[in-house]
Amino acid sequence: MSGAVDPTLPLPARRRNPRRRATRHGVVALALLGAVLLAAPLLPEGALSIDRAARALPPDPAHPIGTDMLGRDIAARTLAALAKSVQVGLLAAGASTLVAVVLGLAATFGRAADHVVGVLTELALGLPHFVLLIMIAFAMGGGTTGVVVAVALTHWPRLSRIMRHEAQGIATSDYVAISRALGRSRLWVARHHLAPHLVPQIIAGFIVIFPHAILHEAGLSFIGLGIEPHLPSIGVMMSESLREIMAGHWWVAAAPGLGLMLIALAFERFGEALRQLSGPPGATT
Amino acid sequence: MLRPLSTAVVALSLLLPAQSEARSLVLAIGGEPDGGFDPVMGWGHYGNPLFQSTLLRYDAELNLVGDLATDWSLSDDGLVWRLSLREDAMFSDGTPLTAEDVAFTYTAASEAGGLADLTVLSEARALDNATVELQLSEPRITFVSRLATLGIVPAASYDEGYARQPVGSGPFQMVEWREGEQLVVEPNPHWHGGEIAFERVSFVFGSEEAGQALARTGAADLVGVPPSMADAAPPGMKVLHVETVDNRGLAFPMRPRAGETTEAGTPIGNDVTADRAIRVAINQALDRGALVALALNGHGRPAFGPADGLPWDNPEAAIPGNDPAAAMATLEAAGWTDSDGDGIREKEGLKAAFQVLYPASDSTRQALALGASEQLREIGIDAQPTGSSWDEIGALMHSQVVVLGWGAHDPSEIYYLHHGDYAGVDYYNTGHYAKPAVDAHLDAAEAATGFDESLAEWQAAAWDGETGFGPKGDATWAWMVNLEHAYWVSSCLDVGPLQIHPHGHGFPITHDLPSWRWTCE
Repeated sequence: MSGAVDPTLPLPARRRNPRRRATRHGVVALALLGAVLLAAPLLPEGALSIDRAARALPPDPAHPIGTDMLGRDIAARTLAALAKSVQVGLLAAGASTLVAVVLGLAATFGRAADHVVGVLTELALGLPHFVLLIMIAFAMGGGTTGVVVAVALTHWPRLSRIMRHEAQGIATSDYVAISRALGRSRLWVARHHLAPHLVPQIIAGFIVIFPHAILHEAGLSFIGLGIEPHLPSIGVMMSESLREIMAGHWWVAAAPGLGLMLIALAFERFGEALRQLSGPPGATT
Repeated sequence: MLRPLSTAVVALSLLLPAQSEARSLVLAIGGEPDGGFDPVMGWGHYGNPLFQSTLLRYDAELNLVGDLATDWSLSDDGLVWRLSLREDAMFSDGTPLTAEDVAFTYTAASEAGGLADLTVLSEARALDNATVELQLSEPRITFVSRLATLGIVPAASYDEGYARQPVGSGPFQMVEWREGEQLVVEPNPHWHGGEIAFERVSFVFGSEEAGQALARTGAADLVGVPPSMADAAPPGMKVLHVETVDNRGLAFPMRPRAGETTEAGTPIGNDVTADRAIRVAINQALDRGALVALALNGHGRPAFGPADGLPWDNPEAAIPGNDPAAAMATLEAAGWTDSDGDGIREKEGLKAAFQVLYPASDSTRQALALGASEQLREIGIDAQPTGSSWDEIGALMHSQVVVLGWGAHDPSEIYYLHHGDYAGVDYYNTGHYAKPAVDAHLDAAEAATGFDESLAEWQAAAWDGETGFGPKGDATWAWMVNLEHAYWVSSCLDVGPLQIHPHGHGFPITHDLPSWRWTCE
């Protein structure tokens, strides 16, 4: 993450304010992420187990956010679900970013490669996002793997387009041409000229994809194509809460909904701040 | 001023007659058949074929009464059923129903091999227009229940498209079926059973939640709800609890894993559950009362066998359960000990672990899988709940434990679930259980000269003092709960007396739909 706020980057003075903003949002988002990931394994044993004596309890001191129809503590379950969602989100966003970077760099290898990547990207952008997600998750037979693959295969095009654009811009610039003329290899150029310029873009892209990945994981689990229904996951909890809300058990939906919203919002803002900081003006990821 | 007023008058005049005369009914009870409405392929096996009528039918006390048949008898050797048909029965297209149609339906069903198992039927003959004879190849005392579930199709117009465009002599005819959405039916004007109080009945399909939402908006008049939701009926609706023989249990793979596969290439056998000690210990450990409270919100009763309380049930075969100490003693004695201290027992390097598959769409089975898993962990068995689609369950059910459910109005199901001939057939005998002594009792029961005479043999198959399929014997299942089917019913709808329901939350309640009445103005 440090690359995003690398002080050696040549930044005009007027961007100092956005930089501080990015740092602030970054600290919030990363603190949330760290808290969820660190706290989930610390849940006491049995915190997630069912308890028939404590079914559908409203919030009370023993269960600060109440329990669901099977007597599971909502607070513990939400935390575990967030951790699970965040892990799936990190994995899926990572894979998606990787796809985008590979395709973006591949576009610099000649006109034909550029054309192929361009067409592929436009094609993927043209397809309805969630429909494609559902199709891939369904074809993979659902489950956690299905979600990760589906999200990874659907979130790369926007970032890939930026990568391609950026990489091309750098590859055709004068100093790269001079570098090549001085006998530097393609690899050397890629490492010393392309990479430093692309890293901030990659990180910003990853951060922006991440909340989308979490939200889509929740969406897929919600419609029953994602994580198995007895495992803690935000989408599963929301889907279960549907029938409980109708019975007046509002607390079953509140915690997972707010938790998901908080994390997604924090990363969305962090990503947005980063994008403004490092991206070309007007580019959207 | 004039125009809005006249519009209102027109609207009122449109509304009022619809209110006072026959009205339409909306039911959200699920149970949409995958294969359409063809009795030959198994439609109507549970409950009521709706579009077709049957030779006999069960009344609310489960006595057999005539429907199409006015008189019926079984020959002394138990091989020939002779039935006289009523003369006024007509299909919904106006053609009369004759003995030819009955013979055609029974012949077709015996050749189709669907859920309506008629392999024992050797010939169906129409003697004249109103008399039919059904010849069996061997005595099969449970054949009589086929007479009450197999709907008659018209020989003249039956073809491949029948399942989607059913024509029958039942109380209703199809108006429209949009798969996955809704089925609309209206009364069959030619039906022989009398007047129906509704001009149109719509069956709305969809998720459990969607049905409940319809009930809350007042759009549905009868909604099937999971037991956990039963008590939260919206205003204007009352809760209807129907007792059932619809049970849920854990079906065990009975054979060790020896590399065998089914015809579809899916594995057969599980080394852990092939050990009788594991299966008996699970039966001893399960606290079924707790499962009823957890998964059914108390709306059900513990299950100890496949037919609790029915005449062919053998209470002697049951193990009461809720005795973890005895379960652990059974496991210790069989060599299952926790040698590495992880809380899960092992025997010769094999962990006492298996998956418990449940259909991900069914919240009750999910709760049962979770509850059982929790209870079994206490005795050192790792039962991992795994939510799957029915397709995946179909592939894994011969090698992993599955939360399955059955329950029927006749004992033939006992035969299918435990007879070696039905190993791996559909969802019957998924564990590939085959024991000559049990098969002999089951065959003897079917060959009995009368229903009452068969009861002792059904009971002996479960437990004859030495062996049986019941928990005391080979423990092929660990039965957990008998459901109580819960419905929200509009306070204006009188559904009359109800029979004990078989497996299947949904269509069985429509069994007496023709006699339902709307009690409000």
